[in-house]
Order: sequence, then C-alpha cells, then structure tokens
Amino acid sequence: MTTLLKIWSAYVRLTARWPSIASIVPFIPLFAAWWIVTALEIFPLVFLPGPGEVWRSFVALTWKGILPEYLQDSIVRLAVGAGWGIALGIPLGILIGMSRRAHAALWPLLLFFQAIGDIAWLPILVIWFGYGLVTMTFVIVYTVIFPVVLNTVLGVRSIPVNMHRAALSLGASRARILWEVVLPGALPNIVTGLRNGLGYGWRALIAAEIIVGTSGIGFLMFDARRAGSVVEILLGMIILGILWYIVDSWILAPIERATGQRWGLVHR
Amino acid sequence: MKSLTIRNLSKTYFDLYAATHVTAVQDVSLEVGAGEFVSIVGPSGCGKSTILNMIAGFVPVTGGEILVGGKPVNGPGRDRGVVFQSFALFPWRTVLENVAFGPKMRGIGKAEREKIAHEYLALARLTEAAERYPNELSGGMQQRVGVMRALANEPDVLLMDEPFASVDAQTRMTLQEELTRIWQAKKPTVIFITHDVAEAVFLADRVIALSKGRVLEEIAVDLPRPRSWDALHEDARFKALTGRVLQLVRQA
Amino acid sequence: MRLQHYLSSALMFLLPFAVLVALWAVLVPAFNVNPRLFPTLGSVVAAGLESIRDGTLPAHIGASLLRVFVGTVLALAAAIPLGVLMGVSPVVSTFLTPLFRFFSVLAGIAWIPIASLWFGYGFGAITFVIFNAVFFIVTYNTLLGVSTIPREVRNAAASLGAGRTAMLTEVLLPGALPNIVTGIRTGLGFAWRGLIAAEMIATNVGLGYMLFVARDFYRTEVIVLGMIVIGVLWLLLDRLLLAPLERRTIERWGMVQRA
Repeated sequence: MTTLLKIWSAYVRLTARWPSIASIVPFIPLFAAWWIVTALEIFPLVFLPGPGEVWRSFVALTWKGILPEYLQDSIVRLAVGAGWGIALGIPLGILIGMSRRAHAALWPLLLFFQAIGDIAWLPILVIWFGYGLVTMTFVIVYTVIFPVVLNTVLGVRSIPVNMHRAALSLGASRARILWEVVLPGALPNIVTGLRNGLGYGWRALIAAEIIVGTSGIGFLMFDARRAGSVVEILLGMIILGILWYIVDSWILAPIERATGQRWGLVHR
Repeated sequence: MKSLTIRNLSKTYFDLYAATHVTAVQDVSLEVGAGEFVSIVGPSGCGKSTILNMIAGFVPVTGGEILVGGKPVNGPGRDRGVVFQSFALFPWRTVLENVAFGPKMRGIGKAEREKIAHEYLALARLTEAAERYPNELSGGMQQRVGVMRALANEPDVLLMDEPFASVDAQTRMTLQEELTRIWQAKKPTVIFITHDVAEAVFLADRVIALSKGRVLEEIAVDLPRPRSWDALHEDARFKALTGRVLQLVRQA
Repeated sequence: MRLQHYLSSALMFLLPFAVLVALWAVLVPAFNVNPRLFPTLGSVVAAGLESIRDGTLPAHIGASLLRVFVGTVLALAAAIPLGVLMGVSPVVSTFLTPLFRFFSVLAGIAWIPIASLWFGYGFGAITFVIFNAVFFIVTYNTLLGVSTIPREVRNAAASLGAGRTAMLTEVLLPGALPNIVTGIRTGLGFAWRGLIAAEMIATNVGLGYMLFVARDFYRTEVIVLGMIVIGVLWLLLDRLLLAPLERRTIERWGMVQRA
C-alpha cells in the first residue's frame, strides 16, 4: 500500500514541477480507449479509423508537403486576420470605453453585428470578394474584433477614476493619460480579449475554410469528407485541438496571467 | 444535549509531497459532560482543527474512538452540528432558509420549520435579516446566522471551528458575549476551537491546551456566569487563568 | 416609472439602428449601387414580406430553432449530470478537466465533416454539431462549478443531515448553477454559429441554407434579409433571455464569476 502511495506521491511532485504533464496524462486513457475500440472494430473502420491509420496519414501528408503548406496557410490567415482585428479593435475599444457618446452611438450596433456572427457574412463576402484571402481575412477580423473591443471597453472602464485624477493632478495631458494610464490599466483585460478573440478567430477560420476554402486545415477536413475519408478528418480535428491547446495554454494563458498577476489586476 | 467522549484519538496521514507519514493528533482523550462548554486552544498546526473534523466526521479516524452519548460516531450527521470559520452559509438561500435547512432535512414541513427558524433568529436578534441573502450581511451577522443554523437543528454536540477568527476584533467581542448568552439559554454541549487564549478562557467551563497533537493540560475555568468583557478585563482570576494557558501554549 | 425608464433605454438602444437604416435608405440609391452587390432597403423589406407570406421564412426559422432546441436539450440532459458526477470528486475532476477543455475547443463546426459522414445530410448531422457545441462546454463548466463549491459548504450540509439526494438538489446544483448558466450561454453562442455554418453545407432548409442558396443566385436582398434575421434572433435570445438569467443567478447569490 505504501509503495502505491509513494508512486502517487512521486507523480504529484512531478506534476507540481511540470504542470504540463498533468494536462497530457488524462489523454492517455482516451487514446488507449480509441486504440482498443478500433482494434476490436466495434465500429466499422470506415467510420472510425484507428490511431495507426491516422498516424500514417499524418506522415504521408507531411512528407508530400501538403500538411505543412495547409498549416502554414491556416496560421498565416489567422495571424493576418487577428493582427488587423487587434489593430482596429483596441483603438475602437478605447474610444468607446472613454467616450459616453461613442458608447451610446456604437454599443447597440456592436451587439447587433456581433449577433449576426461571422459565418453569416460568408455568402455576401463571396459575392463581393470571391473565394480568396480577402474573404478569409474579413471573417477572421470580424470575429476577433468583438471580443477585443468588448474586453478593452471593460478594461478601460474598470480603471478607477482616481487614477485618472491622480494623473491629472500630476500634470499629465490627455494624450499622456491615454498612454500612461489607460493603456496599461486596461492591458490585462485587453490580453483576455485577445485570448478570447484568437479562440473565436481560430474557429471562424476553420469554418470559413470548410465552407469556402481552397486550402488550409479546415479545407483538408472538408475535402476529405467529400472523398468519404474519415482519416484526414480525424487528423485535422486532432491537429486543430493540439495546436490551439498549445497556443492557448502555453503562450496566451501565461501572457494573460503575467500581465494580470504582475499588476495585481483582473481575476479570471 | 449529550456527552462527548474521546478515547486515545489519533490521526496519521500520508504527506504526498514529503512522501512520509505525519502524525497530526496523538493519543488524545477527553470527557465532555452534557451541557458543558469546552475550549481547545493551541498554536496553528497543533491539530485542534483535525480533532474537530474527526469528531464532526469530515475526516476519518486512524486510531481511537469517538462516542456521543455513549454511541460511536461514523461520518457526518445531524447529531454533531458545526459552525465554520468561513461561515459556509448557502449563498443561494435566504437567512431564514439557511437556518431552516436542518429541520428541512429532517422532513419538517415549511410552516413548522420557518417557525423554528424565526425562533432561533429572534434569539440572536436577527429577525430583520430573515429575508436577506448572506452576501448582503456583514461578517459578524453571517456568523451569527451560522451559529443559529447549527443550533436550530438541535444537535447533541455543537462543534465550533475558530468561528470568530474571520471577524474584526470589536465584533468578535460582541459575538463572544452573544454566544455565552445564547449558550446560557440553550445549554448545548460545545467544543470550541481557537488559537485565541483569552477567547478560550472567556467562553469555556474548561480549557484544553493542545500542542503538536498532544494534550498539555486541562484547566478548569471557575469564573462566574454570566460573563462580560467589561467585568473580566481587569479581573485578577481571569488574568491568572489566561496567563497560565498562554504559558503552556507558548512554551510547547 | 420603471416602464418609462425601460422604454427610454430601449429607445436609446434603437436610435443608432434608426440612423443606420436611414443611411442605408439614402446612400444605396444615391450611389447607384449595383443590386447584385448590395440591395436597397426597399428590396430587402419586400423580400422579407414575401417570404413571410409564402411561408419560406417561418419554415427556415422554425427548422433552425428546432435543431438548436433539440440539440441543446439533449446536450444539457447529458452534460449536467455528467458534470456533477465528475465534479464531486476532486481527483476525478482534476484528471478529466484537460480532456473536456480540449474538446470544448473543437467548436461545433469542426464536427461538421465527420458528422455529415456519420449521419448523412440533414437533421441528424446538424443536431449532432449543436449537441457537441453545447455538451463539452456545459460539462466543463458544470464540473468547474461543482468542484469550486467550498468544501466547508458541503460539510455544513452534511452536518445538517443532508443525504445524497438533498446534497445534489440543495447544494451541488444550486452551487454550480452560475457556472452552468455561463456554460449554457457560451455553448449556445457556439451552437448558433455552428448551426448557421452547418446549414450552409449539410441541409436544404434553415437560415444558413437560405443564405447560401441565395448567394448562388446573387439575390443579395435575401442574403441581407437572412443576416438581419439571424442577428435579431440571436440578439433576442441572448440579451433578453440568457444574459439576464446569467446576471440574476450570479447576482442573487453574490458569488464571483469563476472561470
């Protein structure tokens, strides 16, 4: 009994030092279950292929250069779209957060257009811009901008008014206040908005690629569906999940925690 | 109200980080008569909360036995009511519903249990707060609700785990006096855990000084009741008793 | 007095739209915009009235809403009990949380290709997409909600004589409810978007389908009509139902929003 406890205790200490292990270990039983279910062919292999097949497909597609190219396409689109979304969203959010009039005029419109959702824009975008990069970028910008703006507004508004006053009484001009007080003060919320926005943007990208794409991971999945091949679909889903998991847990979340914690603001 | 007997109680557990066995409580024995008020005092980590959690049934016992009214205990139950340091009120229920919770678990009808709850709220002078939600109340008021919630269920033993530690000093003194007044009226058997020596002596009939999981000494508090802070502040006997307990607790 | 306040804030809310609509009515004809690129206000209104009269719009709306409803109800029926069961044990919940977070990421839409292969076109595939969009995130949030109920509150209930059923109905479910409602709200957001996307490629009735087919014929007035309907429907659902529900559960219990 004590040996079991000692092993468990070693595991606890290990995961305390490297928390990433704790996020990987739970997938092991899932993976094992997948392996067993497909090895026993509980569902026809056509419907649910096993890890071996998926791996082989991964290797083949990487070797042929298709997967890296699609991955690159997807990521580039996301980066461009997110970049524009942030560049437009943060100033807009600051404006709305700081000006009552801007808020009254724009907030209802923001809510409505957010409600329409990015996907619903695809048909008309295709009419206007065809199937190219512009359509994709628009969709991603559209999706990213709302969480960024909303969170920026929240961040700007949650700066205590006394901070503004303190800056004014120390002789800061309006412009300086914007740069020295508002931006840093809202930063933790902005980063949260970024993180959410990227999450939605990623999903929007996949949706756009599935519906109107000509390359990319989403397209890979939809094309495979047309060919009736579940293997690439599963591969695509796994890649999507892992990629986002990596980006979110190891890049975005730490940034968010660092800004928030360092300045003792914002709790998630 | 029933008596409480603890015989050779001990608790060891396995520390996952240190990978060793740790003894939190060692061979503690205690007899508490029905209607008696006993305080257990000791520094942080001396095992007093562990003892309370074992009596309450939240934590399994690894040695010895606990008897309430002569019968051994097994897991949590309504015979041992608990008042928590963090109040642990149900935030989604009103004050009245919180106090009526125990009777509700016993299957008592709505009208009847609300009557009971109102009685206990009146005893603590909390009647106006009946329809409020816990988050609308101050810490002191919340804890009074916590005490009445436990009492309204008429447990055989009342266990109080540093109940006034999360409350400011002045409110604490008021609450301590309130507690003695309510206790005088209902005379439950009480085990009161605290690290505040003065509080322990003020409230109890008997003080148990605990350190490193062991009982150091039991000290009878022969101060007359009812007790008030105004009277006892300068009282020589009070000072002598607190001095003795403090000495015990600090030297260990 | 409250009615007055409500009316005036509703008016303030609608004012920017009135301005937008006015601009639309004036600018599109003024710049002689090609109707194949962007419709006039009049044509959209006409299309709207016609599609209501001939029953196509209600049919599309009905189909979409029905799928959302069925998918969501099924998902909740599975997610909440599962989430509660998992959340009760700290060991199980820490172990399974990463799994559910992972699957929450695969938004409804990523399931479309596999769903349409497994269930074919139509109701089944789309409802499956919606189910997934709601299921994972609600399970995750329920799990989170239950596991963050303070140990002492559960102990308090136990020491007041609560049995297993009472613990579930009086402590676990109410305690997790703010998180559950947040999960439902987020999940429905994913579900709605996944619905529109799925309807574009996997069916022949529904709002998404309506948009997509109109694109083929350059019927921009139908597209814009559809977009407005989608926006209004979600706005109504989210702002009038979900957001107030979320706010009231959290506010009433004075609990800080977690995660």
